[in-house]
Amino acid sequence: MSAPSPARQDPLLAPAGSRLLLLGNEAIVRGALEAGVRFACGYPGTPSSEITDGFAALAPRTGITFEYSVNEKIALEMAFAASLAGARSLVAMKHLGLTYAGDPLTTIPYMGVNSGMVVVSAADPSCRTSPNEQDQRWLGPLVHMPVIEPANAQQALEMTRAAFALSEQSRLPVLLRPTTRVCHTRAPVTLGELQPGQVGSFTRDPARLVPMPAHAVRLRAGLEQRLAQAAQATDHEVFRSAEGNSRTGVLAFGAAAAVCTEVLEQLGAQVRLLRLGVAHPLPEAWLAGQLQNLDELWVVEELSPFLEDAIAALCHRRGLPVRIRGKRTGELPGMYEYEPEVLLRALAPLAAKGRAPAPAPAAPAPVAGRPPVLCAECPHRSSFFAARSALGSEPLFFNDIGCYTLGCGQPLESGDALLAMGAGFTLAAGAARVSGRKTVGFMGDSTFFHSGMPALLNAIKEDVNMIAVILDNDVTAMTGFQESPLVEVSAGHITRRADIVEIVRAMGARRVCRIDPEELSNAISAFREAWDEPGLSVIVSERPCPVFAHREGAGGGKRRPYRIDTSRCKRCGRESCGQRCSQGIHRGYERAMVRARAQESGAEQNIPPVAACATACPLFLCVQGYSAHIAAGRYADALELILDGLPLPDAVCRVCERPCEDVCVRAQTDAPVAINDLKRFVVEWADAQPQFPYRNRTEAEHGRSVAVVGAGPAGLAAAHELRARGYAVTVLDAAPEPGGLLRYGIPAYRLPREALARDVKRLLGLGIRFEGNRRLGRDFTAAQLLEKHAAVVVAIGAHRALRGDAPGSGPQQHDALAFLRDETTRLQGSVIVVGGGNSAIDAARSALRRGAGEVMLACLEARDAMPAIAGEVLEADREGVRILPGTRVLRLLAEGARVAEVRPLKPGAASPADYTTVEETARELRASHVIWAIGQVPERDGLADLAWDGSCLSADARTGATSHPRIFAAGDMVRGPRTVTTAVAMGRRAAWGLDRALRGDAADRRQPPPHPADRTLYRRPGVVRADRAQRAHPPEREPAARTRDFAEVVGVLSEAAARAEAARCTICGNCGNCNACVELFGCPAFVQEGAFVRIDPAVCTGCGVCAGFCPTGAIQPEGGP
Amino acid sequence: MNTTVRVLLAGVGGQGVLTAGRVIGEAAMAAGLPVRVGQLHGMSQRGGSVEATVVVGPGETAFVGPGTCDVLLALEPLEALRAAPRLRSGAQVWLSTARVVPSTLGAADRPYPAAEEIDRALLERGAVVHRLDAAALAAQAGDPKAISAVMVGVLAGTGSLPVPAALFEQMVSAISPARSREATLQACRLGMAAAQKLGRQEPVRA
Repeated sequence: MSAPSPARQDPLLAPAGSRLLLLGNEAIVRGALEAGVRFACGYPGTPSSEITDGFAALAPRTGITFEYSVNEKIALEMAFAASLAGARSLVAMKHLGLTYAGDPLTTIPYMGVNSGMVVVSAADPSCRTSPNEQDQRWLGPLVHMPVIEPANAQQALEMTRAAFALSEQSRLPVLLRPTTRVCHTRAPVTLGELQPGQVGSFTRDPARLVPMPAHAVRLRAGLEQRLAQAAQATDHEVFRSAEGNSRTGVLAFGAAAAVCTEVLEQLGAQVRLLRLGVAHPLPEAWLAGQLQNLDELWVVEELSPFLEDAIAALCHRRGLPVRIRGKRTGELPGMYEYEPEVLLRALAPLAAKGRAPAPAPAAPAPVAGRPPVLCAECPHRSSFFAARSALGSEPLFFNDIGCYTLGCGQPLESGDALLAMGAGFTLAAGAARVSGRKTVGFMGDSTFFHSGMPALLNAIKEDVNMIAVILDNDVTAMTGFQESPLVEVSAGHITRRADIVEIVRAMGARRVCRIDPEELSNAISAFREAWDEPGLSVIVSERPCPVFAHREGAGGGKRRPYRIDTSRCKRCGRESCGQRCSQGIHRGYERAMVRARAQESGAEQNIPPVAACATACPLFLCVQGYSAHIAAGRYADALELILDGLPLPDAVCRVCERPCEDVCVRAQTDAPVAINDLKRFVVEWADAQPQFPYRNRTEAEHGRSVAVVGAGPAGLAAAHELRARGYAVTVLDAAPEPGGLLRYGIPAYRLPREALARDVKRLLGLGIRFEGNRRLGRDFTAAQLLEKHAAVVVAIGAHRALRGDAPGSGPQQHDALAFLRDETTRLQGSVIVVGGGNSAIDAARSALRRGAGEVMLACLEARDAMPAIAGEVLEADREGVRILPGTRVLRLLAEGARVAEVRPLKPGAASPADYTTVEETARELRASHVIWAIGQVPERDGLADLAWDGSCLSADARTGATSHPRIFAAGDMVRGPRTVTTAVAMGRRAAWGLDRALRGDAADRRQPPPHPADRTLYRRPGVVRADRAQRAHPPEREPAARTRDFAEVVGVLSEAAARAEAARCTICGNCGNCNACVELFGCPAFVQEGAFVRIDPAVCTGCGVCAGFCPTGAIQPEGGP
Repeated sequence: MNTTVRVLLAGVGGQGVLTAGRVIGEAAMAAGLPVRVGQLHGMSQRGGSVEATVVVGPGETAFVGPGTCDVLLALEPLEALRAAPRLRSGAQVWLSTARVVPSTLGAADRPYPAAEEIDRALLERGAVVHRLDAAALAAQAGDPKAISAVMVGVLAGTGSLPVPAALFEQMVSAISPARSREATLQACRLGMAAAQKLGRQEPVRA
């Protein structure tokens, strides 16, 4: 069923004597028609809107001149002018509008009306649809005008009719003030005779109608007399009644009189009931007559003690000994609507014997709320969503009055403050001018015309640093789709008379742009551009209210609804890891995801379950997650994501070889995101906090004990992982301090000892025991360990150095790892480092720092095939290391070495035998030292009984299982020397393998990083973001300065640089914890069902905006694209 | 008619609660009964809770306060739960079972209240509870959105008001646009039949 259109039935034009079920508001319209109203106008506002709507529908058939005025002040002035021109006029609005019109209102009584003028201003006790409840009766004495209030629909009709006469008798405007309850209650109304409206003439009378001071001061004197005339006129049965015989009286006013009458009936109260419908001026003679026969009087009126005070004063003046009971005496509530339940309690002392009300029931248990939400397809939602996606939480947001007020609540949260019609821009401007923060103000088109234009002009004048957003949907949707002043609707066509963009430009705004909020990508860009420009920007967001457009037949046919493909929704390739996803993601991350998606080309929906960087990362870290957190300034959350997979962040953020950056899709646009620098930034931020902000996720100990042999990266990672799984962990190492290769193999200029110490301290702080100077095979055996512990992880690395087979002697020979342990002994003469891996580079750069003359590095590989981290090779180069790729050392000489160039015999040459020497290139290099860095193999001491695979311990790549069921292995001893990051991953996998062996499936609650062979590298092509941005580079010391000592070379990104760098992440992978559609967009078509979201096809209108940002690309049109 | 009957219609914005309230009021009016219809609908169009009240009997207002409702026509289960404190002991509750899940509920950690929980709250008030699938009846009638017409029919079928069924049908017809009139009327009739049938059956028990 839909409401009948008044035009079709026209009940308000029914003949006299008809009895109809009318709203109070409709009764007011009929009352005005019966009074021969000729001009009507107003501004819609709940609960008054049906009055103006009623006139709008009737005007064409009744000859009444009607308009929806642009605002209430204008409406009041229009009605007054009509009265001066000889037409009975009525102007309608809600309570707030009348105080807005206060300027003309206060002067009109001085000048006086000609034909009757009725001002209807509906009150809203209990603030049901308003930001305040105000008692407008005080306007009576303030303005010098009569104020009347009906108790029911019949009275609404009769009082309206009488109000015109009252106005003409006193030549004052009359304020008719119905409350929500009367406006919106249908009750039987008996109709009177209709009267055609008439227009008299405007009589020139400057002495009255031009209230210059000289005239005003004289006009003032006439006011009291006219009010006195009004007081006589209100002494009429329409405005007051009395019944019942008792010395106890109850005086009830307006809407409260109807409730009060019913409640007194229910209580069986024997009282004299006075009902009053006029608040000002009071029919004093009648009142005094009533008071003479009373001992006490209960005054029942909503909101404020207006009558109570007036009657107390009257009693005082007339010497009447009546005891007044009301709000002042605490017997009636001082605020809110008087519902029956309220009066039943308050008036209980008047109850007849046995009729006292039962005690109030206990407050009911709270029921989940059903907050109103913006409609499906509402363009306001898209505008707010675009603003929040583009600007996050950085700006202060100011909102205004209209449907879009709903944008203040969850999930759009686009209103930090809201005041009154048109104040969205002024609040934004005022806050921006003093706070130094850029602000955003929102306002609808009708509100813009209502009072937003002067507000905007005010901001333009000062070029305030703000974004003014005008949400132009053609209508005042909030109050029932009244047309905006710019729009004309006829026969299904919406015609615009002018363009807000042009208006705003003409007002002097320099930066104005027009957006269609459904074009999310453009809208987001517009907000970002406006944000980046200092000063005032205006964004006009244009799209007709779809509800109105469909109603007017201008919306086109019904579009296909959308659906959510649950196989894509929340599809994350790391879902099984549980740990990360269980922590819930943050709105800032979701916001970054939707922004990234919305700004991609719409065609690209094939979003991989895991970002490329994560698939390349040995640790499978959620890089896009921590980048988004950093971009949003939530460093602790970023840290959580990092620490979850990486127990040695201080070390790894310095030494990682960054395989993630090699595959970053951002490289297709400009350069990879500086992922490891971001990690370093967060870790250093955390280190600088008074307390390291780490949430310990370690399981409680379950009583099993394990040992880890080797305190290098693999061993420490295994120890951490086992401790997290609830084991008591003891770590043993041959060296006195934990760290292994990190401490003794990586020079301090790359990894300062204090950084490593922080990692170690955090690990030991979890309760891991460390025993130094304990060498396997010398100080204890594996069998001894297995007596005390349930299982063992061995991760002793590869420390037995290999030496080249070059004959001869002369220069002092070193092994790289042994050489790197010493950072103090000075070197004399030149150095040749042999090898192309990281140890070789480290040795070469350390040799420079130890004072060597020339440092040369000879390796078999071509430069671009060197196994060392490319960046490290480059740095060595910059520091002056002479790199000799494709070079073999043939023989050592007394003062150096004989070398020659080599040629690989096959592609992918790996061993020295794969290279052939080009004899004719042989030459001599002078050197006092030769450092061998051509590889290391593990020691077998104490482990000889296990199965070995060549020089390496044989172990399962996924579980670290060795040939002994209770011994697991990880790190360089398993597959030969690798990188630190890989060693950490292996340590975590071995811990999982151990845990599986001991506890079975329970071990799977925590998942280690998957083995590289088990991953797909998702490198999504075609991700092209328009906004190019330069990669940030951390500061570093100049080569000349840094080769003098072992102080750290590379610094940390600044906070601003880190946030900007993090924002470069395109978030190319899915997120398994995404709830962005519900948490950020909040269309009513979304229905949450447990872990998933469904689109209700009955609510979805097929606008498809959500499909444009869904981070997983799961939203598709019903039936496929 | 000397006793007052207070009918509360509770539902969600867009379900037609206000129109249904008006139809019931017009039917009572046409039957010569004193009647008022109340509606609170600030932002009802935006999917919030909406209620209409119909008070038949002497008086001026249309309040249905705590413990005073004689007949609750709930167009949505959660709204029935919200209205429970308004029921008097012995009140009739006619509950349309189709849920409209608010945006704040439905996730695993914030479930929509179970049917049993809602029944319990209603039965604790001493109400007589009947459940029906008004949405299915509306769909059967040819207009899935005619839930409110079904519920008007349900009220007619209960005989709670001394208003002839023909008057309800007449008012439903008068207020419906021509294109959907037949379906709306049929929805009303199906509601009426459902109420008569359910009224002879056992109500919901704890």
